[in-house]
Amino acid sequence: MKTIDLTLKIWRQKNNDALGGFETYLLRDISTDMSFLEMLDVLNEQLTAEGKIPVAFDHDCREGICGSCGAMVNGIAHGPVKLNNLCQLHMRAFNSGDTLVIEPFRSRAFPIRKDLMVDRSALDRIIQAGGYVSVNTGGGVDGNAIPISSETAELAMDSAACVGCGACVASCPNDAAMLFTGAKITQLGLLPQGQPERKERARAMVTQMDKEGFGFCSNERECQAQCPKGISIRSIARMNRDFFRGSLFGE
Amino acid sequence: MWFFNFCKSSIGRKFFMALSGLLLLAFLAVHAFGNAAIYAGSKYFQFYADFLHNFPVLVLLASVGLGSVLVLHIVLGLSLFLEKRQRTGRYEVYARLTENTFASRTMGYTGLFILLFLIIHVTTFVFAPGSDTPISVVVMERFSSFFFSLFYLVSFIALGVHLNHGFFSMMQTFGFNHPRYDKTISVLTVAVPVAFLVIFGGIPLYFMSGAGASFMHH
Repeated sequence: MKTIDLTLKIWRQKNNDALGGFETYLLRDISTDMSFLEMLDVLNEQLTAEGKIPVAFDHDCREGICGSCGAMVNGIAHGPVKLNNLCQLHMRAFNSGDTLVIEPFRSRAFPIRKDLMVDRSALDRIIQAGGYVSVNTGGGVDGNAIPISSETAELAMDSAACVGCGACVASCPNDAAMLFTGAKITQLGLLPQGQPERKERARAMVTQMDKEGFGFCSNERECQAQCPKGISIRSIARMNRDFFRGSLFGE
Repeated sequence: MWFFNFCKSSIGRKFFMALSGLLLLAFLAVHAFGNAAIYAGSKYFQFYADFLHNFPVLVLLASVGLGSVLVLHIVLGLSLFLEKRQRTGRYEVYARLTENTFASRTMGYTGLFILLFLIIHVTTFVFAPGSDTPISVVVMERFSSFFFSLFYLVSFIALGVHLNHGFFSMMQTFGFNHPRYDKTISVLTVAVPVAFLVIFGGIPLYFMSGAGASFMHH
């Protein structure tokens, strides 16, 4: 079993109002088969044994589908491996002697709860504003009642792959949530079920996005490069089109 | 009101940025077409200038329109540029994965440089010369200065870099991002700035290289 030694510089902050700062930790004999979060677990056991407060970080499924985890590792959201959530990043991506700078996903709209844990409920409120389809009466519709081409279903699924981790916001030089909002608008806008509320959806979600304090888009494509699910900025273009239509012709 | 809300929104501001950019691009195209007369000689260039000034009302209206679009583009651009500066630098370490970000990262700076150029350009060729000196003579005199020509050349390179990201960004903001247009947009993103660089940048080079010595003879 290959093992490596690491120096970790981790952002520690008690809560959103407290002043934060970096703490440096040394970790020895970390197996390269470990995931990044398992490495943090080892650190936390070490800290607990020393009577110190463990590093707080969000996690849930640890298989890259829930969107709970995430941190900036050496300035890249979810670390150096592309198309990867932090929990699916493995220590084989690093070399012995490396220094890893680990920071929370920073945004004006993401208050820091503790250490690497941020409050991303602003993203939930954008979805609540319009990222849904209304089925107001009757029983569930049969799955195959409306024919949808395989290509359309695949394209919608490409956007639906967004897990809402916030990497796009964290990596954007403008602190924008356009890729997230674009993906949520696209996954419904491509399907027949999403059509009745399409114009109003874009208008409502973009308005909420602005209200949360997210930035604007300067088309730098950094979100697309750092998104663990490979969401394309085509979804932002679609959001723009839907937003124009919603603003000009919406109810 | 819907229009007011649209203007206030993040996407609305970008829309007006893109729209003003498109109008400025259209102006540049006409300007480049007219200026290409310089290569034919002073007679043709003077004829073009005189022809334009046969329509003073049209020139006035176009100038006011152009000025307003320019002011809108600068005000919106500066507000986006300043907001961006506030938001970057929030990390101890921050890496970029996107390649070729030079143009996009320097939009604010190339924009401000073009503004400096415009101030010098307009004071040199629009306001400074008395109406008794023909414009073709003023052009010849100014470009005979090496540093003046060099400044123009550098400005056109800045314009090219600005347009490189500007054109792509405009298409994306308008919502043109689809596999069907990918090829066309990626070609135009390079071809449009290069076309302006060749036509405009060729003018100072024309005089710097000595080829412009025959300018007054034609």
